[in-house]
Amino acid sequence: MPTYLSTHLQRRSALPLEDALSEGRYRTAERVLAEKTPDQVIEEVKSAGLRGRGGAWFPAGTKWSFMPKELKGPSYLVVNADEGEPGTFKDRQIMEKDPHLLLEGILISAYAVRAETTFVYIRGEYLDSYRAMVRALEEARARGLFGRNVFGTGRNIDVVVHRGAGAYICGEETALLNSLEGRRGEPRPKPPFPASHGAFGRPTTVNNVETIANVPVILEKGTAWYRTMGTTQAPGNVLFGVSGPVNRPGLYELPVGTTAREILEKHAGGMKDNRKLKAFIPGGASTGFLPASMLDVPMDPESLKAKGTMMGTGGLIAIPEGVSIVEAARVFSRFFRHETCGQCSPCREGSAWSDRIIGNFTRGQGRRSDLKVLQDIADGSVRKTICVFPEAYAGPMLSAIKHFRAEFEALAKE
Amino acid sequence: MNGAQTASDPSLAGTDDSKVDRACLAELSSLCERYPIPRGALLLILHRLQERRGHLAPSDLKLAAQITTISPAEVYSVASFYSMFRLQPAARFPIGICRNISCWLCGGQKLLDTAREKLGIDLGEATTDGLFSLESVECLGSCDTAPVIEIHGEYFEHLTPSALGTIVDRIRADKDQSLQALALERRTGARKEP
Repeated sequence: MPTYLSTHLQRRSALPLEDALSEGRYRTAERVLAEKTPDQVIEEVKSAGLRGRGGAWFPAGTKWSFMPKELKGPSYLVVNADEGEPGTFKDRQIMEKDPHLLLEGILISAYAVRAETTFVYIRGEYLDSYRAMVRALEEARARGLFGRNVFGTGRNIDVVVHRGAGAYICGEETALLNSLEGRRGEPRPKPPFPASHGAFGRPTTVNNVETIANVPVILEKGTAWYRTMGTTQAPGNVLFGVSGPVNRPGLYELPVGTTAREILEKHAGGMKDNRKLKAFIPGGASTGFLPASMLDVPMDPESLKAKGTMMGTGGLIAIPEGVSIVEAARVFSRFFRHETCGQCSPCREGSAWSDRIIGNFTRGQGRRSDLKVLQDIADGSVRKTICVFPEAYAGPMLSAIKHFRAEFEALAKE
Repeated sequence: MNGAQTASDPSLAGTDDSKVDRACLAELSSLCERYPIPRGALLLILHRLQERRGHLAPSDLKLAAQITTISPAEVYSVASFYSMFRLQPAARFPIGICRNISCWLCGGQKLLDTAREKLGIDLGEATTDGLFSLESVECLGSCDTAPVIEIHGEYFEHLTPSALGTIVDRIRADKDQSLQALALERRTGARKEP
């Protein structure tokens, strides 16, 4: 099975520029900038069917096509490296081990969306990622790969590496843009959308690290090759991250649509100490819990949606027998209560109420009627706020109740 | 905002312990040039200022306000939004323990209990010598190496209670050693290069 994202992810430190160049890195970018128009690049990415790996799986080429074609002032590409979804650790590995893969993707993507400046927004906790990206950018600039007149094409393409400062909500693209502008990371009402009014009020495209890292291979090997991997609706590979008490936790680059069972049992080596799997989380905290009986679900956006959940970030978390799902739900409710930005009252109050109620269950103080209250909290906040944060906290809470209701009832005092 | 003052004006450098030298001021101002508006650099500036003493004093916020040409109140509003910025004096080595799902499933709670016992403090507290504090941090994105702790941005992975004890002892024995080196040493020892 071909791989193109994880070639160097087993390294201990970043692949230096010289080694990257000798493997052909930046050659595709050079060719694309010389031979293709930005619109041709957008068309190729569209027909390759590349979808956003940050969790929403929105078609990347379509997003790019929203950018204005006529330039009247600056426009920006923003790389979302605010990887904060619990159970997700792929973007960090790309930046720390293979930063030039991301940088080559940036060159091509920035060219396509006609952005002279790209901001890479790295979450504050990722100090090593920040260091690796700053160093790689210096190397690349010294070679004339970024800056003015890139590859002698007359185009200026440069990168600014930015750091966040600890706020899960900044993974939401408009919160990220506010944070990039030196403001509180509070999501913005949409419209206007970033493509017309984004960073610093200018047209902006925001893409996840892994999405951008998919771009060079599409332009290098072509749409048909890219579509040999993954599903018709979501082609390509994904960096699945497996965590929890499994034998081989880590990143596995596999086609979209690989079953959760294959990822967990074959690649991650199954559960540690022969423990039995009780439940799993398909793609990061907000995608919620699925019972082990659903392990044969193909990990693609459509199949997971049909199961009532989402593909998310591909961060698969294995939960063994013996772990209380109520306690696990509490881990998440505490997290979301802490991370709500607080600007919309349904979310600010809803995240806190649900945490309090789930907390009551963990102490044997819950009531059966509280399960209805948790549903009401979700109904009263989902789609009633500026961003999708309520969807994020409702996911684990409602799926826990749906699939493991008996555990809550066993902890109810009446 | 006083337009006559520029970031290189040494009078902005505060007094005594809070003094920011000329080179640092120049560095902070140059960060602004990377962005279309100066305040874009605010988070980077606050990170840089916090590195000096482990927290942001009112004089730091004022300086950041002047460099980015926004009001100190707005800087405070921003600084207080982000969990990594400390507005109160902090312990020299704040130990951030991940309590999220993957670490929780892989022994994070045991790690927290060990840290509590070893340091004699609870979450949110600091040791009386001001050397260590215990903090709960959110998912550090190192879930495959759970459980993980973080000290000043350096990750300590695959951490057992006894390894945590060793790290605390090592820091106690040499308070000036490089955390980066300590983290690297652990990582190299704990993981084999394929």
